[in-house]
Amino acid sequence: MFEFNQYNIAPWGYEIVIYFFLIGMAAMTFIYAAAPAVFGGIFDGVAGKAMQPFQKTGMIAALILLLISGPLLIADLGQPSRFLFPIIYFHWTSPLSWGSLFLPLFGLSIVGYLFALINGKTDWLKPLGIIGSLLAVSMPLYTGLDLMVHQGRELWSNPTIPVLFVILSISSGTALVAVLHLATGKLNDQALEVLYWFLYVALAATLVLFLAELVVLNYGSAEKQQAWQVINTEFGFEYWVLTFLIGIIAPLLLIVKPKLGRNPKVLVLAAVLSAVGAYSFRAVLIYAGQLGQLYY
Amino acid sequence: MSLGLQAPPSLGVPGKKRWAMVIDLRRCIGCMACVCADKAEYDVPLGVWRTIVKVKNTGSYPNTKRHFMPRLCNHCDNPPCVRNCPTEATYKHEEGFVLQRYERCITCRTCIAACPYNARHVLPNNRDRVKIGGVVDKCTFCDHRVEKGLVPACVQTCLGRSRIFGDINDPNSEVARLVARNSTVVLKPGKGTQPQVYYIKPERSLTEQAYSAPVSYAAREDARAFYEHNRSSKFFSGVL
Repeated sequence: MFEFNQYNIAPWGYEIVIYFFLIGMAAMTFIYAAAPAVFGGIFDGVAGKAMQPFQKTGMIAALILLLISGPLLIADLGQPSRFLFPIIYFHWTSPLSWGSLFLPLFGLSIVGYLFALINGKTDWLKPLGIIGSLLAVSMPLYTGLDLMVHQGRELWSNPTIPVLFVILSISSGTALVAVLHLATGKLNDQALEVLYWFLYVALAATLVLFLAELVVLNYGSAEKQQAWQVINTEFGFEYWVLTFLIGIIAPLLLIVKPKLGRNPKVLVLAAVLSAVGAYSFRAVLIYAGQLGQLYY
Repeated sequence: MSLGLQAPPSLGVPGKKRWAMVIDLRRCIGCMACVCADKAEYDVPLGVWRTIVKVKNTGSYPNTKRHFMPRLCNHCDNPPCVRNCPTEATYKHEEGFVLQRYERCITCRTCIAACPYNARHVLPNNRDRVKIGGVVDKCTFCDHRVEKGLVPACVQTCLGRSRIFGDINDPNSEVARLVARNSTVVLKPGKGTQPQVYYIKPERSLTEQAYSAPVSYAAREDARAFYEHNRSSKFFSGVL
């Protein structure tokens, strides 16, 4: 008899990674689009004025992303027809239950905001924008929390994961908003300034969290060291090239010089690269987190 | 702590039952009869398992040893799979069983991700005899047999009486006596799951994650297959 070892399959594949990416992008796009109503008067109204022409486009983009990611999540279930069960049989200790509750409410906020915008009901915009923005933040937050609560998987069971996912959603959302601005010719100086600073802060925070992850995994427990080994052997390209070099360092270098960074095309390029990093960072964490095993 | 559980931990609670299993590795001969009994009891499909006996060789000639490591759901007293299930499809019975309600399971696989012991699987959709499919399944400690005063199928069939089952809260039960008189270990005690499958005399190379890495070519290939399969090149990760 030879050595014998069989594993039950790891549960989450690329559908979950794509969902996490798209819903994060939708969330940040909503926050940008709702900025005129929510942050209208803050910082001399810079954000509000910059995003004023983007409200409708942004809301439609967020709605489209939601219409892709929602069905994707349902299709990923083994029993798609039971997709309402997490709400019907709500289990308060499961982040997935909360996510299932907040996801349709977020969708309603987008539809409500668009309705108010089209029908000129301006006094609805602020409350809908505030509620929608809170629900939008809860999207990447709950996806991160969904990983964080798995005490059995040390790569995930880490309080920085939800924060990281929120930061990554800022990067990917900024990328979409920058591309849409460029495509529709709305990338004026004010919009450029807002997008520049959001991208800059998001990239800097991602770099800090990437380095923190590096230290935690190398100085951590045996399981964390195993995760580090899995990341380097199985996902070396995705982690070091796609996430670190292309997703964090390259865009940071592009925008670190303020003059170059405020060039519209350079900013859009940096934002798109950061979105690539945001996707691959999530992918590596989700896949590698599932591969740590007690072999026998 | 019983946060999000349907029944609080019953280990050591007077007047309550707490079913547990002791696996005496000194007696396991690696015959896999327990795996066969389990497959027969539940028509467990190929490619997935509720219980399995893992085999590992250590040392180098002439100082070698072959180890057997029966694995199954640990029916934790503080099960993370139960806490994370969004529909309470997986729940904790007051006597300690961790069970699955198939009719409520949406197969989001959160419980599979939550389990530190790789003890859960997805049943395929197309099955010949048993029609339950497309949902998550796991070892039940044969609760349907235990309720009738029988022991689980794997325990019933164990040739060497390596698997022993009983109420660990009852000081006169065989499991309670074995745990009291022998040095036992549980898997991944640091996870706080309070697993209720106790192993007598396993070696460190079997139970500690850092030391359990595959050694032989065959075992390394098994691990590689697991990694390759889970790089998610297939739709829905290929689990159905």
